[in-house]
Amino acid sequence: MADPVIVARDLRKRYDDIQAVDGISFEVYPGEVFGMLGPNGAGKTTTVEMLEGMRDPDSGVALINGIDVTREPMRVKRIIGVQLQANAFFDRLTLSELLKLFGTLYGHKVSAQALLDRVGLGDRGKSQFKTLSGGQKQRFSIAAALVNEPVVMFLDEPSTGLDPQARRNMWGLIKGLQADGTTVLLTTHYMEEAEELCDRVAIIDSGRIVALDTPAALVDGLLATGFRNQRPTREATLEDVFINITGRALRDE
Amino acid sequence: MRVALSLTVASMKMYFRNRQAIFFSLFIPLLIMVIFGLLDFDRFEGAEIGIVDQAENEASAAVIERLTGRADELLDVEVGTLAREMERLEEGRIDALFVIPAGFGEDGVRSVVQATTDERSPQRAALGVTLVGQALSAVAIERYGPPPEASRSGGVELAQTTLRGDDRSYTAFLVPGIVAMSIMQLGIFGVVFTLVQFRQQGVLRRLMAAPVNPAQFLFAQVSTRLTVSVLQTVILLFTGMILFDLTVGDGNVATWALVLALAVVGGILFVTMGLAISGVARTEEVAAPVTNLISMPMMFLSGVFFPLDALPGVVTAVTQFLPLTYLADAIRAVVTDGAGVTDIWPELAGLGAWAAIVFAAATRFFRWE
Repeated sequence: MADPVIVARDLRKRYDDIQAVDGISFEVYPGEVFGMLGPNGAGKTTTVEMLEGMRDPDSGVALINGIDVTREPMRVKRIIGVQLQANAFFDRLTLSELLKLFGTLYGHKVSAQALLDRVGLGDRGKSQFKTLSGGQKQRFSIAAALVNEPVVMFLDEPSTGLDPQARRNMWGLIKGLQADGTTVLLTTHYMEEAEELCDRVAIIDSGRIVALDTPAALVDGLLATGFRNQRPTREATLEDVFINITGRALRDE
Repeated sequence: MRVALSLTVASMKMYFRNRQAIFFSLFIPLLIMVIFGLLDFDRFEGAEIGIVDQAENEASAAVIERLTGRADELLDVEVGTLAREMERLEEGRIDALFVIPAGFGEDGVRSVVQATTDERSPQRAALGVTLVGQALSAVAIERYGPPPEASRSGGVELAQTTLRGDDRSYTAFLVPGIVAMSIMQLGIFGVVFTLVQFRQQGVLRRLMAAPVNPAQFLFAQVSTRLTVSVLQTVILLFTGMILFDLTVGDGNVATWALVLALAVVGGILFVTMGLAISGVARTEEVAAPVTNLISMPMMFLSGVFFPLDALPGVVTAVTQFLPLTYLADAIRAVVTDGAGVTDIWPELAGLGAWAAIVFAAATRFFRWE
């Protein structure tokens, strides 16, 4: 197997009286889409931030492409793409200007238009970030994370707050990243999203990984214990109905 | 360096596209300056005079009593020593100075009361001279009876000379003060609100996720503010030159360079102060009162709009050490007197001391998140 792109080894982080991350270890391999699931406050974001070099762990090791994040955060930041949970960009700069600015921050000359086209915002180059809809904002922040052609993409709750159409669009974008060979680490609250996108998922609770496997293996494992869903299994969900009626077309264009 | 530069360019674009910020930081000081300048405080109808009583006799006491005992508000009289009253006249705090010579009003002595007036306030000085002249003749008549009796017994004469001061009109005082004030406003308000907003929106976090050194970001913020501060100084001084016949020192390159250097030094000081405040005031709701609490007293107690000695001594004992006082005094010295670096070293030392204080505060309080 190839060397892992992301290595988390016994990461720990404490805030005052809360042990936010309590010994998390996992590895993510090239081209994988790795999901981190867990309730609010489980420690997902803190773990991601320690891998991104935005927060120093109390103990443990974080490696990206073999580079120690704590020791060389700048080197790591240069090769990763980051989408934060709260997306914010400067006011009064256009999307094109923002992308060019971020390109310079990473030392990359970028084609703003190509990046915008890639996330479906090709005609919004002269718009400002704050005028975008929720889904467009998320897509733009992915474009901004792509300026340095990152080897690994960190997406923190990329589809939270999006309507079903925008969420499906986001899934398409993430699958596109995977098809381009980018390794993706994403956090989410949506099991459906994890099933749809992730090669492997880690379920986190109270700062620890309580399960880690492929979605199918996790479901099989549960079934093997004799668990049966109380509701009768049906071939479609309410979301399928919604999409069937309202269509897949994005509403924020 | 490329990163710092592109952040600076971006920050400039953001600044100049923000109409509201331009209105408040560029236009408001300009407006205040023009309004206060056009108000022309010289038009006040009362005269302030100083009297030096070298006679110290009954006659001189009678003259002083007449002047101080006026029921109207036309005259404000202070009796003092020659040195003190001369200094007050030179500083423009009195409009005319009268010296009552020794032997005044004594039999057979012809006294000449010497009046020295300030050419900067001709109307008020003329009023003072008229009123003093009236008092002198009234006392002469009282003591000797109406002319020609009065002239026979020596008599009193009023001689007038005009003090040719430099151009020290109110606007020459005001404009440098406004320049200093706008440098302060630009530094404190500009930085505090931008950073608090960036932090609240999460822009700073996004920036820190990129390979950006905090110093590069701060460099961009500071250099943007300094550019605006220099630009603003030039605009205000030019407006003063056009509207109020202001002269900037000797008008040579060295003077301008020194004024602009002071705009940069003051800019750095107040931007750093803004960084410190933005670390303490974490939300806009807190930032607004805190910045006002810090800048308002300086605006009114640092000699921007009126000289410090118009304030009670207890107050100036403190306010003479305010950073804006140092900056306003330094800029005023250069603009109105053409002072050089060596002339303003006490102010520069004061600014340096404050820079050290606010730098320590900024490193202590400033936070990215």
